[in-house]
Amino acid sequence: MADQPGQTQETPESQAKAADRQRTRELFAKLSGDPKAREQLVALHMPLVEYLARRFRGRGEPLDDLVQVASMGLLKAIDRFDSDRGVEFSTYATPTIVGELKRYFRDKGWAIRIPRRLQEVGLQLAKVVPALSQELGRSPSVAEISNKTGITEEEVLEAMNASQAYSLVSLDAPMGEDGNSSLSRLGAEDESLELFEAWSSVAHLLEKLPLRERRILYLRFVAGETQSQIADKLEISQMHVSRLLTKTLAWLREAAGDQDI
Amino acid sequence: MQEVRVSVPARADYLHVLRAVAASVGARRDLSFEAIDDLRIAVDEAGAYLLALKPSADKLCLIVKISEEGVTATLWGEGITTKWPPPGSDDSLSWKVLSGLADEAAFEELDGAPAIRLLKRATSGR
Repeated sequence: MADQPGQTQETPESQAKAADRQRTRELFAKLSGDPKAREQLVALHMPLVEYLARRFRGRGEPLDDLVQVASMGLLKAIDRFDSDRGVEFSTYATPTIVGELKRYFRDKGWAIRIPRRLQEVGLQLAKVVPALSQELGRSPSVAEISNKTGITEEEVLEAMNASQAYSLVSLDAPMGEDGNSSLSRLGAEDESLELFEAWSSVAHLLEKLPLRERRILYLRFVAGETQSQIADKLEISQMHVSRLLTKTLAWLREAAGDQDI
Repeated sequence: MQEVRVSVPARADYLHVLRAVAASVGARRDLSFEAIDDLRIAVDEAGAYLLALKPSADKLCLIVKISEEGVTATLWGEGITTKWPPPGSDDSLSWKVLSGLADEAAFEELDGAPAIRLLKRATSGR
């Protein structure tokens, strides 16, 4: 960001916008050669993403999830934009982002609200499953959970489904803010590199994931650990691992969808 | 060997039906909570993979079989005529996910239609 001309005059909003547009053009010009340019483009347009996501509030989805969906639209727009066409990027990106948000609501129309009873069962499972796993030394079966809690097997399964259905796309932690110590972070970076290598076709998307999500992918698919083992390592519940895994895979699939990986 | 068959419209918003069926049958076979979850995510991935093929499927079908070994879920898309398995599929993200989550995963054909078979062993994840 240090390449602005060296003047410090008061900048009215219109001038700020013009500067953003200029910066956008510069970034697009070096997009193919500079991997950082894409990230900078994303950062520069987050206000647009957030603005558009807010327009879809009040439909039963958390704003964070909407921002994630809208971000996906932004990534698509960045990848498809042709700067030679003489259209400003924001003009081009807006319908793409809005389209992504609309599609999100259309695709998951069935899953918008979870009945209260299932939410309660879900909360109960979140406590009982780890306790039972501890007791048995392995992941319990649905029948065992049912015996222990008196919840019917059917309800256990429904609650499992519901907890997944509700969290289709969002990625919990923003990038680089997962509170790891620098040491464990270093280990995690190594894991990331191995993951990039193993999943090279989507390495550019993996880069966009929070470190924790990358670790989960690495531990599950490269190191071959079970969800419970990962849960222990990350000090979160197995169900949380499951949710993050599902979300991350769905996000990757969506983000990669247009590239025929 | 017991089996359950279901077919749904080839649309993403019906994938949850297939997931739920696979999970439910998995519970009948006494798979662990975690193994069921792996199976569900794998079915989701396989379904999404088949849905993305062009020309698109008319129907998405699932057979879940219970056997001594465990639970086998086979998904296929009716009406898909694409080359199968698609070139480069062994290196695709979907393949990595499927083979990572299931104990066995395979691109197969079922009555001439592209199919994905997933096996989750009864002892895995325990």
